[in-house]
Order: sequence, then structure tokens, then C-alpha cells
Amino acid sequence: MRLPRELFRTVRSGNWSVKLSCLIMGFGCMANGQVGKGLLYLAFQVLSILFVICFGWQYISHFGTLGENAQKKVWDEAAQIYRRVPGDNSMLILLFSVLTFAVILLAVWVWCMNIRSAGRAYRLRREGKPVPSLREEAKTLLDGRFHVTLLSAPMVSLVLFTVLPIIFMILIAFTNFDSNHQPPGNLFTWTGLQNVTDIFLGSELKTATFRGILLWTVVWAVFATVTNYIFGMLLALLINHKYVKLKKMWRTWFIIPIAIPQFVSLLLVSRALEPTGAINVLLMELHLTETPLPFLTDPLLARITVIVINMWIGIPYTMMTFSGVLMNIPEELYESAEIDGAGPVRRFLSITLPYMIFVTTPATITTFVGNINNFNVIYLLTAGGPASLDYYQAGKTDLLVTWLYKLTVDQHDYALASTIGIFIFMIVSVCSLTVYNRSNAVRKEDMFQ
Amino acid sequence: MKKHISRRRLRVSIGLHTVLTVLSVLWMLPVFWLVVSSLRKEPGAYTPYLWPKEFTFDNYIRLFTDTTLFNFPRWFMNTLFVACCSCLITTILTLMVAYVYSRLRFKSRRAIMNITLVLGMFPGFMSMIAIYHFMKAIGLDQTLTALILVYSGGAALNYYIAKGFFDTIPKSLDEAATLDGATKNTVFWRIILPNSKPIVVNTAINAFIAPWVDFIFVSVIMKDNYNNYTVAKGLYTMVDKANIYHYYTVFCAGSVVVAIPIVLLFIRLQKYYVAGVTGGATKG
Amino acid sequence: MKKALSVFLSVLMLLSVCLAAQADAVTLKVWDGQDDQEILKELCEAYAAAHPENTYTFEYGVVGTADASARYLEDPAAAADVFVYPDDQLIRLVQADALYEVTRNHDEIVAANSQGSVNAASWQGTLYGYPETSDNGYFLFYDKSVLTEEDVKTLDGILAAAEKAGKKFNFDVANGWYIASFFIGNGCEITLDENGNQVCDFNNEKGLAAAEAVQAMCNHPAFLPGDQNILTGTIGENVCAGVCGTWVADAVKERLGDNYAACKLPTFTCGGEQVQMGSFGGCKILGVNTQSANPVEAMQLAEFLTCEASQLRRFEVRGYGPSNNAVAAGEAVAADPALAALAAQSEYAITQLIIGDFWTPATAFGNELIANEQNDLQTLLDQWVAQTVAQ
Repeated sequence: MRLPRELFRTVRSGNWSVKLSCLIMGFGCMANGQVGKGLLYLAFQVLSILFVICFGWQYISHFGTLGENAQKKVWDEAAQIYRRVPGDNSMLILLFSVLTFAVILLAVWVWCMNIRSAGRAYRLRREGKPVPSLREEAKTLLDGRFHVTLLSAPMVSLVLFTVLPIIFMILIAFTNFDSNHQPPGNLFTWTGLQNVTDIFLGSELKTATFRGILLWTVVWAVFATVTNYIFGMLLALLINHKYVKLKKMWRTWFIIPIAIPQFVSLLLVSRALEPTGAINVLLMELHLTETPLPFLTDPLLARITVIVINMWIGIPYTMMTFSGVLMNIPEELYESAEIDGAGPVRRFLSITLPYMIFVTTPATITTFVGNINNFNVIYLLTAGGPASLDYYQAGKTDLLVTWLYKLTVDQHDYALASTIGIFIFMIVSVCSLTVYNRSNAVRKEDMFQ
Repeated sequence: MKKHISRRRLRVSIGLHTVLTVLSVLWMLPVFWLVVSSLRKEPGAYTPYLWPKEFTFDNYIRLFTDTTLFNFPRWFMNTLFVACCSCLITTILTLMVAYVYSRLRFKSRRAIMNITLVLGMFPGFMSMIAIYHFMKAIGLDQTLTALILVYSGGAALNYYIAKGFFDTIPKSLDEAATLDGATKNTVFWRIILPNSKPIVVNTAINAFIAPWVDFIFVSVIMKDNYNNYTVAKGLYTMVDKANIYHYYTVFCAGSVVVAIPIVLLFIRLQKYYVAGVTGGATKG
Repeated sequence: MKKALSVFLSVLMLLSVCLAAQADAVTLKVWDGQDDQEILKELCEAYAAAHPENTYTFEYGVVGTADASARYLEDPAAAADVFVYPDDQLIRLVQADALYEVTRNHDEIVAANSQGSVNAASWQGTLYGYPETSDNGYFLFYDKSVLTEEDVKTLDGILAAAEKAGKKFNFDVANGWYIASFFIGNGCEITLDENGNQVCDFNNEKGLAAAEAVQAMCNHPAFLPGDQNILTGTIGENVCAGVCGTWVADAVKERLGDNYAACKLPTFTCGGEQVQMGSFGGCKILGVNTQSANPVEAMQLAEFLTCEASQLRRFEVRGYGPSNNAVAAGEAVAADPALAALAAQSEYAITQLIIGDFWTPATAFGNELIANEQNDLQTLLDQWVAQTVAQ
């Protein structure tokens, strides 16, 4: 509420030029000696008005209904065909409405800034002080307001590539955009909370699917993180053991597999696990099993398989991290411990372990969050399978994120997918915000500075 | 006594090396298999035997010369171009954001930080539909430019690790420079960047590798524009149901070609990776 | 100097006006699968040569039949003008108003192609595409050195002979397309009612009996599940027979050589009696995109690409089974074992009329049968049918 009051006071106490700035942006600046800045404001005003009139209006005028005219057929006697008369495109209406609203919001903000700088220029001139030129103001962007300079490019890209698309997807959750309402052939429209009630109250199948997949996602993330953490640490200790020769070579053996793109390595592994794949052929030739093991088709076995294969992918990473950490443990710590007469086990438990855990905690949290959204491992190995009759369009190893992918890419069920997407987003972001901010507090951001 | 210790030492050492050998064989087996398959003469995704009957380099030759169906050389150049551009842009953007959050104090900093962090958790492919149509509106759909923008557009979201690293560079350095009349701009270029080699390298490698391994975003952006595919998407189409029998060994050859530079990068630069993961708590 | 330039410019303008009057530049984008790109280019160029009234530029996109509707719906405006799709995606595409009705030369096209393919390309009495092949079905491939013609008549015969030889019989149980053959064979129905709602009665008594037969097959030691495991598993070595379609015919022939054979699906034991397996028979259809800027030219091209000569060429080069009556009646087609087997099976085949969620639960059903020796089949069938007919 502070900003409107401030603007109101500025306009009331300013002269006619400030008052006119409300209509013609940059006028106050130009009248008070800041011609360059004023022209920039004016140019922005012209451009944004042109944008809204020429581009945005055709979309936001239909925002309430998301389009009324469906594509129509008209018989063309000359060509002997049913020509199509294009109708409204609900998706483009929604998407570009979001864009136009964002531009309007930006314009309002610039308008506020325009009044504020008009007031400031007017005040300075009335008090007889020098009014800073455009060049002088630009200079502050390299120092006092350096954050504005640095953040502007990343933030613009962030808004365009992340924020607006997310708002668009969130709005989709309140529509009936699915394979039966697919533009440009068909329209879709607002349905309010229909999708939310559908998942949680309406359809038992979808509720059960959501619950089952959520549970497995959590179980998966915990197991995937913990197994990698423990075994990665053990492997690092093994390689860095003082009796082990050629440490670098051993490390390299484990790094090569993870440097191969996952869509290659996981595809190979997934093929090897099939009934006729190399692993089953080998097991049968060694007479360890009579019939091929259903690695990817038995629900429980498939779940175990993905966790084990994930270890193959993940352990080298943790090993690399821990190796780096191990080499960085200050020698003095060990020396003083040795003087105290601590044995190797004591030294490990009281120095090595706590140090490693302390240093790697933030990375582990990132890994955990990453595992919740670990698309590649699941999608490339099992594609979520084995499919289950208890689930809606999902299988027993599907994570929320892979289910989402199937719903959007295969089923074109965008509305349902968006609704689930919002829930995943809420769960993940709440968890990680709490953890990050707490770990930040533990690490004390300014500790080293 | 001495002899006893060394014998025990030998036993432990042999034990450790045996375990390591077994493990590295387990880890390297698929890689080995990939290389062997890429040299196999017989076509097909599977053979009932493990060892190929005949070896050949034809798959590699076919990969680079038989461009009527799969234009691998072109895809390779596409990927290289996209990777270099997006690597440059991403690195600059990420470091800028990380520096701001680490060093500059301004209104609503914490809130913006949290928002940027959380935005990264939204499943990326969900927003791809919107991005595709934005690109189409400005005439960039199915182009390499669009792909570069997509890969580097989210750069601001990955600030977390670099920021952690910047936090460990003593603030006294900045202060001394500021006393000498340096602006925050000079501090960034002269003090922070030279002291952050590991994190710069780490950010750059990650950004460089992303286009080589992603096959989701590129599908959405390129759709049916074969000429602008990247190697990942291209190779992925080779193992489509329709192509796998005839192209599996070529796919393996292509994978080896793509993997070699990445493997070399990884091996040479692994210490920077560590610095990246631990956010500067250890320095290479 | 100036004069020379102006003369040059006016000549240039005149020239371009003449050119524009002579031939319209038309760009058409065409989609087909990876393997069919070469033949597609050949036929498109032949079309351009046959139609000198326009200058044609073709853009070729690699989108196979399996992905056609999914790729199309991502962005219809950027999709191909002419694209190939399998008949089971027809309803989905029509509902999205993606396809032009075939209104030009309608009667000729209907007359030239087999009744089954025209039916498959039609929905509620309207023809929505140009039939290109009619081989989108499945049948039995087998190794003559292991199985006799007597063996392949019954499923039990195949399994027994395979077990005796220590080999496998491949059937992709975890796929609704194949598994439906048991249910269709035993007289179950999967179709649409007059309101366009999905009807499926796989969970009745006949369906239960069929499911028991599937379960028995899954429990047989000589049974091998998996998609295309006939090839990958590998026929000629570990596998002696399998159910698949024409797209693997070349590779199977290559593996088996003289022992290559194909025939209609076998009968299976159901409630103590031998019942002939049914199947889905389908075809590939060329559709014209409603978003096309040049619909008339696109239709001409689609018609050309599916005409008698084109279908014959496609059979010669790719071995595809023609939907065109004249080509199908040719000697070469009749002599092709795979197409002959398909033709024999077509007697027991039905058209796919599926709009519900049939496929994913079907895969789940198949998985359950593979994973467990004993199942509560009735419950599984009820779940499957419930998901299929759900609105």
C-alpha cells in the first residue's frame, strides 16, 4: 500500500508536468531536464500500447471464454471439398493472454516508476539541485545498482522461459484441455476446480493412482539417495585406502560409464534385462535359473531393479564427491588424533565420517530432490512399467514426473497433467525450501566471509 | 614382527584390489558391450551369443557417410554449435545471478532467491508446449536458435552451487578493492571470477554436456525437422521400433562417438566436478 | 546505365509474371516412416512430373504410423499436408477435426480399394482418407525345420513341438492388439455403439474362457513373451515361431532362409474345444490435413501416392500388402508367404473400433498373466473392461 500513497502524494505535490506524466509517460522527466530518460519512457509507452492493440487485444478479449467459434466446414463447389473456416484457438488465446497480461503488468510498473522519477526530477529542479543525466544514472548500474544490471538478463529469460509457461500450465489445470478438446479443431474452456475434484473425489481410480505413485516416488527417492550415499562413500574409502595402488586408474573405470549419455547406457541396460537380453541369457547358460527372470515385468522385481541400476548410475558420482572430500580433510586433525592414541576405527568415526557428512549434506539434499524428479532412469529403463490395472495410465515403477510425461505426451490429457503437476510442484517446493533454508541457517551463509 | 605386518599388508592389499577389480568389471561391462556391439558386423539389436562372429568398422563408416536417412555429421555439428552457444550464455548468466545473490544486498533478495529456487522444481517438459508456441510466434520454431534459448533460458535457476562457492571467497578481498575505488562491476570481473575457476569450469561443462544428452526438449522444439536434430534425438530415433533391427549397431557406433569427448572432459575435469558438488567446501 | 538497369528490371518482372501465370509454386509437406522415405521421395517426384501445371516443392518429415496422431496433435498447423496413419487412430483424428473428407473422386477410390480397407478408413459413413496398404495385421511366422504344417494348426501343437525341440514360441501378451485375438476368436466384442461409446465384453463368460487359455499359454515352458522377440529372441536359434506382422517379414526371412514360413493364426483350446484365433486387421491410410494451405493439391498427391501403380511399387520395394484390388489380385502378391498368411487370417479379422482406454490396461492385464501363474482372472477382466468403457 505504500507505493500508491507515495505516487498519489507525488502527483498532488508536483506541477503540471508531473501531473501530465500520468498520461504521457516521460513528460515530467523531459520537462525537468532529463530528456533522454523521458524519451525512453515515452518510447516504452508507445510500444506497449501498440503491442496490446495490435497483438494482445485479439487474445485477451476472448480470455473469459477461451474462444466461442469452433472451426467450421463449408462446402466449396468449385474444389469439391469441405473447406475449413478457422475458428478460435483456445490454447493460443490462453497463452498469449498470459503474455499480454504480463506486458500490461510490466507497463503499470514502469508507469509507477515514471511518476516517481518525474517527481524526483521536479523536486531536484525546484530545490535548485543538479538533475542527473541519463549517462550519470546509467553509471550507477555498474555499482550501486549493479544487481539490477546483472539480474535483468537472467530474469527476463526466466520470466519468458519459466514463469510465464508455468502460469500457463497452472491455468490449464482449470480448463478441460484434453484429447477431446484439442485446438485448433475443437475449443476448450474454463471448468473451475473440476480437475481437482475429479482426482481427489470423483474418480477412485485416479485417486488410487495418485496415492500409489506418490508413495512409490517417496520410497524411490529415499532408497535411491541412501543407497548411493552409503555405497558411494564405501567405494571412495576403498579406492582411497592407503594400500590401494593406481588410485587414479580405478577412479577412471567408474567414471567412464557415467560419462556415456544416459539414454544410451540405460537403453543398453534395459535391453540386457529383457527376457531374451544378455543378463538372462547369461543366467540361463550358467544354469542359475530355468526361465528368464522378469526383471522389468514383475512389479516388485522391477522396483528393485530400478533401484539397483540407479546405483550403477549414481555411485560413481558420490564416489567422486567423497574422494574429493577425503583428500581435503585437514591433515592436522588426524595428527592430533594420532597423538591422542586414537585407532583407525576411532579416527574414522570421529573425524572422517562427521567431516564427510557435514560437507556433503547440501549436495545430498539436492540429490534427493533430483531423485523425486528423476525422469531419465525410470523412463529409459522401464518406461514406468509394468503397467497396472489398479492405476490410470501408469505402471508400478512410474514416478509422478513420468506419469505426468505420459499424460501430456502420450495421452494429451493436459488438464489432468497440469493439476498433478501443480501438486508435485507444491510438495517438492515446500520440502526443498524448508530444507534449503534450514541448511543455509546451519551453514551460516556469511560464515566464511 | 616386521615381516608379519607386511604379510598382513599384502593380504589386505590383494583383497582390496580383488574387490575393486570385480566392481570395475561390473561397471565397465555395459561400456565394453557398447563398444563391442558398435564393431559387430551382424545387424540386429540382440544376438543369442555374446561375442560377435565378425568384427567390422563399417558401422562407423556408415554413420558418417550414409547420410540419406540419418544425417549424423550434420546432427553432430548442430549439437556442437548449440552446446558451445548455450555453454557460453548459461555460464555467464548463472555466474551473474550467483554473484548477485552472494555479494549484493538489496530489497527482497531472500524472496527472489527462494522463488528462483522453487521455479526450478517445476517439471521442465510441462512448460515446453508454451515455449514452443512463444517461439513459433516470433518465427523461431524448429530452429537451433530456439534450442539454444531453451537450454540457456533456465540458467538463473542453477545459481545455488555457484553461489555457495562465491560465499567462500573472503569478503575482505572485495572490501580492499572497493577501498581502492573499484566498482562492483570491477570486483565481479577482477576479484570474483579469477578466484572461481572450479565453479566456472563446472558450470560450463554441465551446460556444454546438456545438449548432448537431452532428447526430450529437442523433440518438442524440432518435431519433424530432421535437419536440425541433435545427436541425442537422432540416435534415439535410430532405435525406434522401425529402425532398431537395421540400425542398432550404427546406433552403438554413434553413441561411442558422442561418448568419447564427454568421457575425456569428465576424466580431465573431475576435480572441478567435486568442487561444484560441494559448493566450494573443498577446492579441487 | 540507369536505362539498362530499368530494362533489366522490367524484363525480370515480365519473366516472373509469365512464370507465375504458367505454374503455381506449391509446397507440400509429407510424413512417412523412416524406412519409407526413399520410396516416398520417388513417388512424390513421379507425382510432380505428372503434374507440370504446378511447380511442386516437397518437404519430407519422418513420422511413422505409430506416432502419427500424437505428432499431429502437438501442432496441427506445423504438421504435414499429407500424412500416413493407421486405421486405429482414425476416430481420434476425426474427433480433432484433423482430416479432410474424401470428396474428390470418392467413388473411384472406393471402387479401387478393398472393402475392408475402405471400411477401416471410414467413420460413420464418411471416408476420411486414402487406403495405402491393408497389411496392418498379424499372423504366424514359423521355422519349417522345427514345426510341421500340422503343428502350426493348433496352439497346443506349436507349444508341444517347440518344447520338444527346446525352443520357444513368442507371443506379445502384454499388448492389447495381439492379446485381443483370443477374445475375438472366442466371440467377444470390442466395438462402438451408435452413439460412439465404447463397447467391450471381454469380461463375460466367453472372455473368461479366453483369458484362461491365455493364462495356460503363459504358463507353458515353451512360451516367450515380449514385443518383437521373434526377432530379438531370435528366430532360427532360440525361437521357432511367433506372432507378428509384415514389418518383420524381411528380417525373419533373412534369418530363416529356406525354412521361412508363415500362415494364419492357429486355433487354441478353449473350454475343451478348438477355437480359431481372431485378430485385428487394419490398414495404413493417407490423410489430408485440414490445416493444409493447399488442400486440393494435397488430395491429388494423396490419391496419386495410393493409386494402383504406387501400391504396386510399394509392394515391390517394401513388400507392403496392397489395399488396391488390382494389385492384390496380382500373382506376385499371392506368392508372398507373409501376405498370403495375412490374407488367410483376414477372414477372422475385425476392424479396430477403439476410442476408450483399452491399451494401457491391456498391457497391465498381460503383465499380470506373465508375472503370476495363478490370477483371479475375472477381477482382472472386470478392471480392464471398466477402464476401457469408462467415459
